[in-house]
Amino acid sequence: MRRYVQTPGPIGEYSGLPLWQRAAPLDLIYVGYGLMVVAVVAASYLLGAFGWLPDDSQAMNVGLINAAPFTTGHLLGTDFLGRDLQARLILGIQAYFLPGLLAITISVLGGSVLGVMAGYLGGGFETIITYFDNLVDSFPRLVLILLVIAAFKPDIYYVMVVVGITGMPVIANLIAGKIAFLRQKSFIEAAHALGLPAHTVILKHILWFNCRALLVIQATLGMAEAILVETSLSYLGFGVQEPTPSWGNMVQAGANYFLQGNFWPSTAPALAILATILGFQLLGDGLNNVLEGKRRR
Amino acid sequence: MKQILNITILGLGAAMALCLPAHAAPKADGRPDGGTLNYSEYGRPATLDPITSNESISLRITELVFNGLVGIDEKQEIVPELAERWEASKDGRVFTFTLRKDVKWHPREGEAPRPFTADDVVFTYNIMTHPKTITPLKVRYEFIEKIEKTGDYTVVCTLKRPILNALAKFSFKIIPKHGPANSQYLTREDPFTRSPIGTGPYMIKTVTGDGEVVLVANPDYFKGRAHIDKFIAKPFADQNIMAQALMFNAVDMIVLVNPRNLPEVQGDKRFVLQPYNALSYSFFGYNMRNPLLADRRVRGAIAVAVNRQEMLDSFFNGQGTVISGPFAPGSWAYNLDVKPLPFNPEQARTLLSEAGFKPGADGIMEKGGQKLVLSLKVPIEKESEAVKRVVLAFQNYLKSVGIAITVEFKEWQAWKEDVFLEHNFDIVFASWVFDDSADISSLFHSAEIGDWKNNFGGYSNPEVDGLIVESKLTLDHEKRRTINRKLHTILAEEQPYAFLWTLTNYSAYHKKVRRVQIHPYKFFSFADEWFIPANEQK
Amino acid sequence: MKLSAIKPVSRVIVRELAVTMLLLLGVSVVVFVILYLAPGDPLNVLLEGQSPRPDLVLGMREALGVPKTWYGQYAAWFGKMLQGNFGNSIRTGLPVLPELARVGVNTLTLTLGSLVLTLLIAAPIAVHAAAQGDTAGNTAATLVAYIFSAVPVFWFGYIVVYVFIHQFGLFPLISGTATKQAHAWLYFLVPIFVLGVASGTLSEMIRHLREELSRVLAEDYIRTARAKGAPVWRHAFKEGFLIPVTEIMSAKVPFLLGGAVIVEQVFNWPGMGRMAWQAAQDRDFPVIMGIALVAAAFVRLGNLLQRVVFTAVNPRASKE
Repeated sequence: MRRYVQTPGPIGEYSGLPLWQRAAPLDLIYVGYGLMVVAVVAASYLLGAFGWLPDDSQAMNVGLINAAPFTTGHLLGTDFLGRDLQARLILGIQAYFLPGLLAITISVLGGSVLGVMAGYLGGGFETIITYFDNLVDSFPRLVLILLVIAAFKPDIYYVMVVVGITGMPVIANLIAGKIAFLRQKSFIEAAHALGLPAHTVILKHILWFNCRALLVIQATLGMAEAILVETSLSYLGFGVQEPTPSWGNMVQAGANYFLQGNFWPSTAPALAILATILGFQLLGDGLNNVLEGKRRR
Repeated sequence: MKQILNITILGLGAAMALCLPAHAAPKADGRPDGGTLNYSEYGRPATLDPITSNESISLRITELVFNGLVGIDEKQEIVPELAERWEASKDGRVFTFTLRKDVKWHPREGEAPRPFTADDVVFTYNIMTHPKTITPLKVRYEFIEKIEKTGDYTVVCTLKRPILNALAKFSFKIIPKHGPANSQYLTREDPFTRSPIGTGPYMIKTVTGDGEVVLVANPDYFKGRAHIDKFIAKPFADQNIMAQALMFNAVDMIVLVNPRNLPEVQGDKRFVLQPYNALSYSFFGYNMRNPLLADRRVRGAIAVAVNRQEMLDSFFNGQGTVISGPFAPGSWAYNLDVKPLPFNPEQARTLLSEAGFKPGADGIMEKGGQKLVLSLKVPIEKESEAVKRVVLAFQNYLKSVGIAITVEFKEWQAWKEDVFLEHNFDIVFASWVFDDSADISSLFHSAEIGDWKNNFGGYSNPEVDGLIVESKLTLDHEKRRTINRKLHTILAEEQPYAFLWTLTNYSAYHKKVRRVQIHPYKFFSFADEWFIPANEQK
Repeated sequence: MKLSAIKPVSRVIVRELAVTMLLLLGVSVVVFVILYLAPGDPLNVLLEGQSPRPDLVLGMREALGVPKTWYGQYAAWFGKMLQGNFGNSIRTGLPVLPELARVGVNTLTLTLGSLVLTLLIAAPIAVHAAAQGDTAGNTAATLVAYIFSAVPVFWFGYIVVYVFIHQFGLFPLISGTATKQAHAWLYFLVPIFVLGVASGTLSEMIRHLREELSRVLAEDYIRTARAKGAPVWRHAFKEGFLIPVTEIMSAKVPFLLGGAVIVEQVFNWPGMGRMAWQAAQDRDFPVIMGIALVAAAFVRLGNLLQRVVFTAVNPRASKE
């Protein structure tokens, strides 16, 4: 069953040139910006993990609520409890890092297994997996998450499990599509003819040689998804809970003052989200173009 | 802020007043009729009848649509409503009500209005107490043994035992016998719950699927037609947008302004901010089952470690009063001689060291290797900024005296189960809303410890038990007051809760609406007297 | 549609409908299991404001006729559902189906409207980029679109509200108003605009359309046609535009239904998303079931349309 899949690029296009010479300059800019975002995110994560923050992220100053940027002692101002925005922005990425990785792991692992089963084994498996994919796709994800949260508890890890599971079909389809394409080119038959065992073909030749780019791209997009989902949930009150800072709950808390004309407390984290997601998306796009040879000139 | 429970019934001074029924006609007070009042509500009402509904949005609408046998006037005194007079037997167990003969039910589409009779009163009581009717009222009216009709316009009500201020409890709303489709019991599936008819100043005209309710003045209202032609309740899903709706004239009134929007409304000359005191207070409740909290000195330390006035000033614009004990300050039972504990972190540390705690390496107090770490459970709401601020500030204050609080936000139903059923918490932040300011028996009596009971903290003190029972049994108001003052003193000393504050609620409305009087929690009790000057009716 | 395409198309419709039935069954089971595993009693919402004393709860269950066992509950629900009765909301007592029809239409308007808007923005950018390669203009347009896709949607909603009320004095909120409002069409279009621009679909649509169109334009037969000077666009339109458009649109329906939950709250839009939010909090079982099924049906409908278009364009491919 054909669905919305990214069409696999031609495999024969690998020339001897190194990547950066093959790639279009625009893609290099995209990837460069994306990598920069990744670096900043990773650095922020480390800063937070080691507690190297400009200020205590939990210390309140109830006399200095929603202070503007460049207030003494608070370079980026304070939030609705007088806590330092800069420290919380840096710490905010923590909220996504591990949960986001969990979601990505689930969708990549689950998606790969399903994709290989559907594409490589085919037959009855394909039918069952197609059914599963369609079932997962039939739920509006946010509604499913709301349901799970309301039923169990508003824990970001629960949310990310759902995000991970709902992310599986896309990856499964991409991989199944890739396998179908490889079959079409008699690649798999050739591997078998050489007497390679099935697991080598699957793990090495299919997943590693032919799907790694695709998986990296999907993982990048998965991180962006995790941030956006948490932000939406924060608006509904079900995101990461205080006192843990997350960009989503910071935007939500600040947005309570937005319509009164106090833009900064929500704009600062919103810009962080914007820059980061843009980075992940451009990285994904750039990689896709470079590694899969998508951009034609 | 979501309030945890409503307790018991209105109990205010039972003054006997008689006033002569006015005839259904325009009010002869010289004030103009006409105009429309749009008011905003956060959320949508589920049902609109007085029996099955259990939210404040519905309560406000039923106040416009229905009447009780007795009502409460602007001075908080009991006045005749559907009953024009009454007699109480000597032993206080039997009340005989004589009903007005000039009251008509709102007409249904294409029907003539039907008269209100004793049958309707008996019907209301029967349907309310039917086992299959799901209503919060059932528990409140268990003190009534029976209500009987002795004539078309007389009903006799017998109580199981005499109670103080019994008369005030007859303010429950009467529904028509010809109202509900099912004449035995009332569930939310009955169409009556969505388009009810009553006897009140306003009739429900339309209810849109999305919960917008249009009410029009009842021309035959027995107290005279209300001045304002139409009340329209507009549902909102976002409080920030709701506040802007007032600022930009999309609505004329907000029944409860979010504290963060007060400065904005305050500075605007177009609007009136009207305070009204709800009989409620907020508190941190302790779980006495935790040995750490069973120690009174620890509770005392928490009480003085928290700067309540600072929180009130910073988070609620100072709109409220810090309290010292278990009654709402607006109530006659509140003991003003007991002063709220002052903020004193030094004393908190002293108390903790008296209790045997020593600061550990990480600054957290510990005793015998056990760290003073407590969990604080808080229900999640979409609109919970104030709650978040208070609990996080609480955490911060306690950190500075060496008490670690782990804040855990839980979904509302799950939170209720943790607190009331599993008792799996150390501290909760919540507030009580009273409709009887004096009855705290269900909060602190040891008989109220158990599944889904209100003494969720498991507080037990024989002296308090004794005083509570004594207070309930006495029929003498002065004596009861003395007992309650004593209760207040003991509980302020014992600190089963960290008593915080009563907030002043504010309603904001456009200044074109005049003569606005607000009932503390029913809100619209006097809305038939409100009016809009002719030149501002548009 | 060519005559030769009618038979495959009808076959696809029949098959899709059968699959849809199976999927809806699966959806109902999943929702039921989640709700069943959840701790707590959904009926407690009726006792809000008082203690759910065991005797009261029992009376309530009896009044509502709730079976005691879980399979009994599912069977009861399923049996009624087959007769077209989705039960009544626990919270409001209203029958679920008419309520869903009422709000479902609003949500459909919102999501379809925003999808069309997204397409109107995405298509020119994608087509231009595919046909002309990267130019400064389409690169800039793509980047702007990407930026909008990365914005938190409710925050963008607040910006729009702010701009509208402060700059134009218009109050963009739609609620089930009985009274006529001035500029009603604006209240109607603003949420569609917000969801259409900032839901995160825009960037994906541009990317997908551009890729597919580029791919088709590079196919041999197109190259040949081009070389012969034949008009390329008619050939390329179906394969390179129509099919990818339906693919991405149908794939994004569930995503947009989720975005609608947020936008409906901000703009007071009387739709299914708001209802879902309320129902999830109340654990209003019949409503949640109904919403899940209707939402899944929307998604499947999108899928069906995509299949039909695909088969109509490519009658032989459906045999695969």
